[in-house]
Amino acid sequence: MTLYQAAFGFGLVSMSVIAVAAVGFTMQFGVTNMINLAYGEIMISSAYVAYYLNRHGVTIWIGMFAGAAFGAMFSVLLNRLIYSPFQRKNTSHLGMVIVSLAVSLMIANLLLPIVGYYNVSYHEPSRIVRLGGIVLTTNQIAIIGLSVGVMLGIHGLLRYTRMGKAMRATAANPMLARNCGIPTTRVIDAVWLITGALCGLAGGVAAVNSDSFAIADGAAFLITALAAAVLGGAGQPYGAMIGAIVIGMVTELSAAAWSADYKEVVAFGILVLVMVLRPQGLLAKRGAMASAG
Amino acid sequence: MSSIRDRRGSMRVALTAIALVVAACGGSTTASTGNGLGSGDLLVGVIAPFTGADAGLGPAYYAACLAAAPSIDNNGGVGGRKVKCQQFDTRGEPADAVPAANQMIASNSNLMAVIGCTSDEAATVAPIVDRAHIPMFCMTGQSEFDKTNLKYFHRLVPADIYDAYAMVGYALDGPSHSPYKKVALVFGDDIGSQSFVQPATNSLSKLGAEVKNFPIHLGASSYRTEVASVIAYHPDAIFTEALGSAGTFLGEFKTQNGGQMIPFVGTSATIDPTWFQQVRDAIGVDTLVKSYAGVDLGYTFSGPAYSEFLTNLNAASSQFPDAPKYKQRGSTLHLYDGIIMTALAMVAANSAKATDYNPKIRAIASGTSGATVVNTYKDGVAALKAGKSVRFVGAGGENNFDQYNNSQSGYIWVNYNAQGDEVKVGQMTPAQTQQISAAGGV
Repeated sequence: MTLYQAAFGFGLVSMSVIAVAAVGFTMQFGVTNMINLAYGEIMISSAYVAYYLNRHGVTIWIGMFAGAAFGAMFSVLLNRLIYSPFQRKNTSHLGMVIVSLAVSLMIANLLLPIVGYYNVSYHEPSRIVRLGGIVLTTNQIAIIGLSVGVMLGIHGLLRYTRMGKAMRATAANPMLARNCGIPTTRVIDAVWLITGALCGLAGGVAAVNSDSFAIADGAAFLITALAAAVLGGAGQPYGAMIGAIVIGMVTELSAAAWSADYKEVVAFGILVLVMVLRPQGLLAKRGAMASAG
Repeated sequence: MSSIRDRRGSMRVALTAIALVVAACGGSTTASTGNGLGSGDLLVGVIAPFTGADAGLGPAYYAACLAAAPSIDNNGGVGGRKVKCQQFDTRGEPADAVPAANQMIASNSNLMAVIGCTSDEAATVAPIVDRAHIPMFCMTGQSEFDKTNLKYFHRLVPADIYDAYAMVGYALDGPSHSPYKKVALVFGDDIGSQSFVQPATNSLSKLGAEVKNFPIHLGASSYRTEVASVIAYHPDAIFTEALGSAGTFLGEFKTQNGGQMIPFVGTSATIDPTWFQQVRDAIGVDTLVKSYAGVDLGYTFSGPAYSEFLTNLNAASSQFPDAPKYKQRGSTLHLYDGIIMTALAMVAANSAKATDYNPKIRAIASGTSGATVVNTYKDGVAALKAGKSVRFVGAGGENNFDQYNNSQSGYIWVNYNAQGDEVKVGQMTPAQTQQISAAGGV
């Protein structure tokens, strides 16, 4: 029983990490219609920004926000300099996926000689907190708190701000939104900025969560975020949150119940099952970026 | 409209151009059509993971080549031919290794040897290289190569099962600790890593210890639940390799175990500067030095062969800054020796044709009756030119190839010091090896 309680606690941490990454990824897709396969590499690049600051004595929590700023700027520039020119030429969706894959490989290979192939670790003091059978570190509890804060912030942005409404309108029908006076170009820039920041923050959070990380981890980060986003319904921030809960909890609890060998099999098996029974994902009945409420 | 003569002239120019291009691309054209060492640069293909979870492996092998090349080139080359090194990245995936191997062979007709081919990709790469008749020195421990039919395959390190037996030997008879009676096996869930599990399980069980396998998926961002399972098992020690993921796993273990580490015993692949660095960063150097033990082949890190290796390795830092880190990495030493042995075999056969010089590699490594022992390429060439047969004893020590080109040697037990250098703490006796391998039964 203790192992299940522990696994439940670890599931809370996993879903918090996945949620930050998946919500950013799915919002980016929802508004810009861009499946950005370079997302994982931007995450890991941001994690390295935080790492280098951390090595110079900066606490990882500040480093993480510097990583978020880096992710935001990097994403905006990536869209302006690479993705937008292709989209203006009406490049097909498949073509854009290939472009983003190429960008992902370029980032990974450009970073390799800079950061090296070896694993690195943050140095941030942490202590164990026990809540019954749940065993978490103070850093993990901070990650959970940070993730909850980010989710509430995203909810507030989408639900209660003009920018959120403009984003939802742009996601639903960009032409109509433009005709209604919404500056869609600026909205899309804002989306890249916000989702890039989430991407950068997710990289830092994922790296804190993992005691050791390397450049090769970008692909693994992307796959988990992608799975949660698809499970929840592509383009649905609230769906991505639910997807993160399912994948985060299932992977940890299945590892406790059976073997750690099967935890990804079980998680992705559920993803396949949902895709068969409900191909649009868990929360996609009202179009992209619809409010769950 | 051009005349027939013009067109014939153009045709001649085109044919001449094609002939020049073919001549330029094929450095070993002369050699491949007959005896003689030919001309042009020779290439050593380093086919290994340079990216992905096992990206720490490829650089160790590349460093071996960078050190071996000047040993040969500064002493006349192979019949005047210089040796170059080129990386071919397999990403540690069999699916990526096949195109990498095909591309390496198709685009380089001057390959003298291939090194690397780890357990990640050896099963797919070795047959391709063998079909191309290129000698290879593979760093795989997979038992499927114990009795291989691949004539161009060479292995200078024992199979993984012997690493596993040496780890069991340390657990039961190692110095400065009472026998470990309960052992957790933490290896990657890939086929290469799991090859340690069965022999370790068999031998530990038959020799009275309790053992349980906890496979982990290499490259995962976290192993919290897996760590909780291991802690719940209450082992006396952990056997591990977990390349690329050891820092994450051991860091989480220490955290969940209230800041306390239990002894962990690593395979010979954990005697590696990048492994040391990632685990040190995750659990701290004091904990690492106190809790780690590993197994390795008995290197002396001294003698003329090692001195030349070390000098060249340090000099290679101008091309590859990390090269000097591999001064005590067993695979780097062995692959360095493999390249030198291949070059000597070419000189002995007076041929750049692998069908001629491949059989000479085993003779030069293991030696024949009355062979002169040499430790450097320079001495080897001199002895061969004097009409002697030679046995090369290189930076990694003696080699003793069996009929399947697998070389066997004895194991030592080691610790790390705070600088990441290995420190010998004991040695497996032949009796211990015999007892444990009999119990292992694999």
